[in-house]
Amino acid sequence: MYYVELAVQGLIYGSMYALMALGLTLIYGLLRVLHIAHAAVFTLGAYVGVITANATGSLWIAFPAAILAAVLAGIAIYRLVYAPLLDRPPLVPLIASVGLLILLEDLFRIVFGNQGIAFNENPYVYMTVTIGGLSIGVLQLAMFVGSVASLSAFAAFVAFSRTGAAWRATLGNPQMATSFGVSVAQVRYLNFAIGSAFAGLAGVLIALLNNYAEPGMGTIVSYKTLAIIVLGGLGSMRGALIGSLLLGVIESYGTVYLSGGVDRDAIAALCLIAILMFRPEGLAKRIAA
Amino acid sequence: MLEIEDLTCTYGSVVAASQVCLSVKAGEILALVGSNGAGKTSTIMATMGHVRITGGSIMLDGVDVTRLGPRHRARLGMAVVPEGRRLFADMTVDENLTVGGYTRTKPAARQARERAYALFPRLAERRRQIAGSMSGGEQQMLAIGRALMVSPKVLLIDELSLGLMPKIIDLCMETIVRLKREGIAIVLVEQNTDRALEVADAVVVLASGRVVKAGTPEMIRADDTFFQTYIGLDGGQAVRNQVEANVEQRSS
Ligand SMILES: Nc1ncnc2c1ncn2[C@@H]1O[C@H](COP(=O)(O)OP(=O)(O)OP(=O)(O)O)[C@@H](O)[C@H]1O
Ligand SMILES: [Mg+2]
Repeated sequence: MYYVELAVQGLIYGSMYALMALGLTLIYGLLRVLHIAHAAVFTLGAYVGVITANATGSLWIAFPAAILAAVLAGIAIYRLVYAPLLDRPPLVPLIASVGLLILLEDLFRIVFGNQGIAFNENPYVYMTVTIGGLSIGVLQLAMFVGSVASLSAFAAFVAFSRTGAAWRATLGNPQMATSFGVSVAQVRYLNFAIGSAFAGLAGVLIALLNNYAEPGMGTIVSYKTLAIIVLGGLGSMRGALIGSLLLGVIESYGTVYLSGGVDRDAIAALCLIAILMFRPEGLAKRIAA
Repeated sequence: MLEIEDLTCTYGSVVAASQVCLSVKAGEILALVGSNGAGKTSTIMATMGHVRITGGSIMLDGVDVTRLGPRHRARLGMAVVPEGRRLFADMTVDENLTVGGYTRTKPAARQARERAYALFPRLAERRRQIAGSMSGGEQQMLAIGRALMVSPKVLLIDELSLGLMPKIIDLCMETIVRLKREGIAIVLVEQNTDRALEVADAVVVLASGRVVKAGTPEMIRADDTFFQTYIGLDGGQAVRNQVEANVEQRSS
């Protein structure tokens, strides 16, 4: 039973990683930019969620507000930072992205304070439900259900809608996609909007789980998702999903079995190093583009 | 329907096309022929808007599209079957057609899809197959089908027969003749000059990026040495080969 519980915990965290990693891998697939500042969008979502919930007393307003803020931030980052740099060597947008993450984290510090802000009221923190003999926190369950639902909706959109087809066509062959009337610019905006919406959602969910938002909360998430998309093969959506769940579970077991020497958050870094050494193309082979 | 005047495009110091003029009416096939590196693909891609031109103008059905991007040219009724097919390789046959019909309304796209499947029943049998896993002939049919989803006024085809077996070439040639009868203006780039001249209403011969001859297929055929020099193998390679063969015979 204990092992099952660990696995469930792992999958729950893994689903949150998936929300973050998906946006990152999509953006990498389309622009070949490692969007490190994605983590700042996540933090922004968390802050807007907490502040809105405190101001209105309603999570039903907090979620959409956080997602909207994240979407606008993501689009602004593309428009103002990446778009002008796309013609430069790939290192340039990468450095810009790292700089932007540091800048935004400091901005959060200046605007919201060093300490972070907590929810005035968060009745869900200690609530649990029992499913099949397992006791699971309500928020953890919400995180899992929310992630799975939004990722499934996205998968359905990509697989079955015309816009989804145009999107995949643009990923594989942008020049030919424009030959048939697809706007690459629109696809890019849509890409940032959806990826950032997921990051904003993940931000609020994590804020709820921790009960507060703080300036540096994105840093760990940023290198974990980086590890995941390397694990899954850069640019591969399926790989990112598998990598996320895998990392969640590895962390979950690792915390127990490696508790003497290794911190939970160091496991992702170890995985990253191991993958880069032994299988740099990622675990899941990329489907031919 | 399509009028190109003085089209010039360069890659750095390489002049790929220089002052190319050509014009195709609705319901006409123009064969664009020439040896390797003559500038055929560059002309096609510049016409679609993928290669920036340094001079000249392109009119599509009376609209000056010179400054428009490929996306807008597609919306105005231009479609391309590019060299090497360039399908969306990891997507299914059906999805490739879906992207082809991106600019159309849903009902129009549905109709165009049925039409493409009627034209190439082979594709209909393989709707769910991944495009990249199909044979060369099937891929070429899909490339044509995808372009037809646009319901084009002007269809640009680069290397229709390359790598296909004769039976499939016949099918493709028949198909484009059918499309021309329906009123589409077609520019056909073709290595297989004999086949191109069979179906063409007009011919433009390119060499080193310039138009060296334009006229009816009969006129081009009539001029035998010309034919050998410019459209035989690689830029007169046939002639050179002949000379070398003679030299070898004499020396042995
Ligand atoms: N992207 C490019 N960069 C630099 N030069 C190019 C590029 N594309 C084509 N060229 C040059 O432009 C000239 C014309 O090439 P193009 O591909 O248009 O010829 P083509 O007639 O289609 O030849 P083929 O019959 O081999 O397909 C060639 O000299 C080629 O080397
Ligand atoms: Mg060519």
